[in-house]
Amino acid sequence: MISRMRVAPFAAIALIVLQGTSPRDDGQWTMPGKNYATTRYSGLAQITPANAPRLRPVWSFSTGVLGGHEGQPLVVGSTMYVVTPFPDVLYAFDLTSEGYPLKWKYRPEVNPTALGIACCDAINRGAVYADGKIIYNLLDGHTVAVDAVSGREVWKTQIADMQQGETTPMAPFVAGNRVIVGPSGGEFGIWGWVKGLDLATGKILWTAHNMGPDSSMLARPGRGRYTGDANIGVSSWEGDSWRRGGAPVWGWISYDPRLDLIYFGTGNPGPYNTEQRPGENKWTNSVLARRPGDGTLVWAYQFTPHDSWDYDSNAEMILVDMVVGGRMRKVLVHFDKNGFAYTLDRVTGELLVAEPFANVTWAKGINKRTGLPIVDTTKTTGASRGNVKGICPSLEGGKSPASPSAYSPRTGLFYTATNNLCMNFEAAPVTRIPGTPYIGATTPYMPGPGGNMGEFIAWDAARGRKVWGIKEKFPVWSGSVVTAGDVVFFGTLDGWFKAANARTGRELWKFKVGSGVVGAPISFRGPDGKQYIAVYAGIGGDWFLLSGDVRSDDPADVRPPADFAPDLARHTSQGGIVWIFGL
Amino acid sequence: MPASVRYPNHVAAGGNQPPAGEIKNPLPIDSANSADGSKVFSAMNCDGCHGGGALGWVGPSLVDGRWRYGGTDGALYQSIFYGRPRGMPAYGGVMSPGAIWKAIAYIRAQPVPSVVPTQGWPGIETAPRRP
Repeated sequence: MISRMRVAPFAAIALIVLQGTSPRDDGQWTMPGKNYATTRYSGLAQITPANAPRLRPVWSFSTGVLGGHEGQPLVVGSTMYVVTPFPDVLYAFDLTSEGYPLKWKYRPEVNPTALGIACCDAINRGAVYADGKIIYNLLDGHTVAVDAVSGREVWKTQIADMQQGETTPMAPFVAGNRVIVGPSGGEFGIWGWVKGLDLATGKILWTAHNMGPDSSMLARPGRGRYTGDANIGVSSWEGDSWRRGGAPVWGWISYDPRLDLIYFGTGNPGPYNTEQRPGENKWTNSVLARRPGDGTLVWAYQFTPHDSWDYDSNAEMILVDMVVGGRMRKVLVHFDKNGFAYTLDRVTGELLVAEPFANVTWAKGINKRTGLPIVDTTKTTGASRGNVKGICPSLEGGKSPASPSAYSPRTGLFYTATNNLCMNFEAAPVTRIPGTPYIGATTPYMPGPGGNMGEFIAWDAARGRKVWGIKEKFPVWSGSVVTAGDVVFFGTLDGWFKAANARTGRELWKFKVGSGVVGAPISFRGPDGKQYIAVYAGIGGDWFLLSGDVRSDDPADVRPPADFAPDLARHTSQGGIVWIFGL
Repeated sequence: MPASVRYPNHVAAGGNQPPAGEIKNPLPIDSANSADGSKVFSAMNCDGCHGGGALGWVGPSLVDGRWRYGGTDGALYQSIFYGRPRGMPAYGGVMSPGAIWKAIAYIRAQPVPSVVPTQGWPGIETAPRRP
C-alpha cells in the first residue's frame, strides 16, 4: 500500500549539499553508515526505477547463526566482510571468485555469560574498516581489530564490564586515529559512557561518561563551548542515582571533520520506574557532540527529559547542510524513538525543527524556544501512577534506533522505517542487583491506529513532514540504503526485501529472503564493475523477544506468539543469511 | 545447603549437577508460597530475563513444561543457586534458600499449556489434498 502525501517541491531543496562525501562513489562500503555523515547514500546509479523490477538474487550464504542479524556487511576493495551476532564470527568473502568463497574466518573466544546480560537478543551491529583493520565489538565487552588481509587478530581490548551489566553489540566508529565505542545496558543500570581507543594499538585513551560530575563527563570549562550548568550530570538527578542511571551508547556515530565533532545518541535512564530517579536525568536520551581526540564535551541536547517511556535516543544523527527557514545551515537530522524527527544546528545544538513522524500521544509537540517537549502529563508513568494506558509510540519507538535511516542529496529526502505501536506502562519499584536486569515496568503493546503496524516513509527534514509512505502489516525494523539511481531499499519483518522509487514511493520489486529483515542494506560495485545490493536476513533483536515463537532451535523454550502480532511466525523463523542482489 | 560459590567456577564445571541425593522443595506449592514467590520473581529481576509470567524473554520460558537443565526441584534449585552457562547468573549468596524455594513454588504453580508442540494459525484447518 502506498499513501501519497504532497510531494516536496524539489527545486526548493536543490540547494542541499551532502556533508562529507565526495561526488564520485568509490563503490566500497567501509563504515557502518557509508560515510562520516552516516547518510547511507550510495553514488552508484546502474540500478534505476526502470530496471529494478529485474533485480535477482546472485548469491546467498548462511551465517550458521540464529541471533538477530542487525547491522550491515562491509565491502573493502574486492572483499566483503560479515560479522555475525554472538558468537561474533567475522567472515571475509572473495568477491573476485565464482561463488564468493571465504578468504578466511575469524572465530574469537566470546564469554557466553554475555547472552544473559544482553538485554534484547544476542545481536551485533557491524564493523568498521580503517588503517588496514576490520574493527568490531564482541558481545562480551571487547573490541577487536583484525588484519583485513590475513584475518589475524591485531589487538583486543576489554572496554566494558559485564559484571555491571554492560555488553557491546554496537558498531565501532573511527574518527581520525580514534576508535569510538560504547556499551549497551540501559536495562541493567549501567553508568553510560563512550571511550576513545587508539586505532593502532587499541589502548583506551579517554573515557567520557554521559552523566555524573563534569570531570567524569569530560565537560571541561574553557575547552569547547559546552554551556550546561556546572555538574548538571549530578544536579539533574536525585542523590547518586546517576551512578546507575543508564544512558548507554548502542547506536550509530557520525563525524564532521571540519568541526572536528562526533555526534552520538544516548539511551534511556534506568530504571523505567521514574520515581527512583527524580530530575531531568541529563544526559540520558540526548545527542552529545564531543571532540574525538580527547572526548571533550562540546554541546548536548536532551530529546526526552526525565524519560517516562524508554525513549532511547540512540538512533543515527545524519549530517547534512541544508536550507532551513531560508538560511543554509549545518544540521543533523535524527528520528527519535519518541516519535519526533529533529533537525538541529550541529555547530551549536540549536533546535530548528521538531515534528512528529509517527503517532504520538505522550507530548503535544516540542516547544522550539525552550527545546522542551510539551508533555501530556496523563501519560507520565511511575510506580505510584498505576497502569498508564494508550501511550504512543511504544517503547519500540516510532522508529527503532536499530534501523538506520538514509538520506539522498538528489531528492533531499530522508528514508526511514517506522513502527505504529502503542503501549500501556505499569511501573514498579525495582532493586539493582549488578549484572541482572534493572527495569521496573510491564509494558504490553498494541497496534496503533490504522491497522498497519509499520510504514516505510520519506521525510522532508527542512519542513518536518512526510512526503510518501509504504504501509506494512508488521513494524518495519530494517535499515535502508538510497542510491544515485533514485532507488531506496528496505526489508520487512515478515521476510520481504523491497525496492521503491525514492521520489514517488512506488514499490518496484520484492523478494522473500528467508527470514525477517532487521539488518541494513548496502550498495557496492563488484570487481566486475556492476552495482550490487547486499542485506542480511535473520529476524531477532526485540522481535525474538516479542515473538518468541520465531524460534525453533531450543526444544526447552516453546513460547506463545506475541498477542499484538500473532501471525508473525507464520511468515518467518530465525536464521541468518547474507544476500546479494544484482541486475 | 551448599555454600555460596563463585559463578565462573561453576561455569567451568559445565553446569553439570554434582552427584548428590535428590533435593525436594521443603515448601508446599500453595497459593501463599506461590504469591510470595511471585514477589521474589520480580524483586530479584527474574522477570527482566524470563519475562512477565515467566513466559520467556531473553531467557527461556519457564512455563512451557520444557527444561534445558532438568525440571526437578533439585535441578531448578541448582540453576538458580549456581547459575547456568549461557547467561543465567548465580543467585547463591544473593537469594536465601527460602527465597529460592518460594520462586520455585511460583514457577511450579503456573499453568503449562496443554498443546505446546503444535502451533497453528486460523484459516489453515483444512486437510491436505492430493495434487
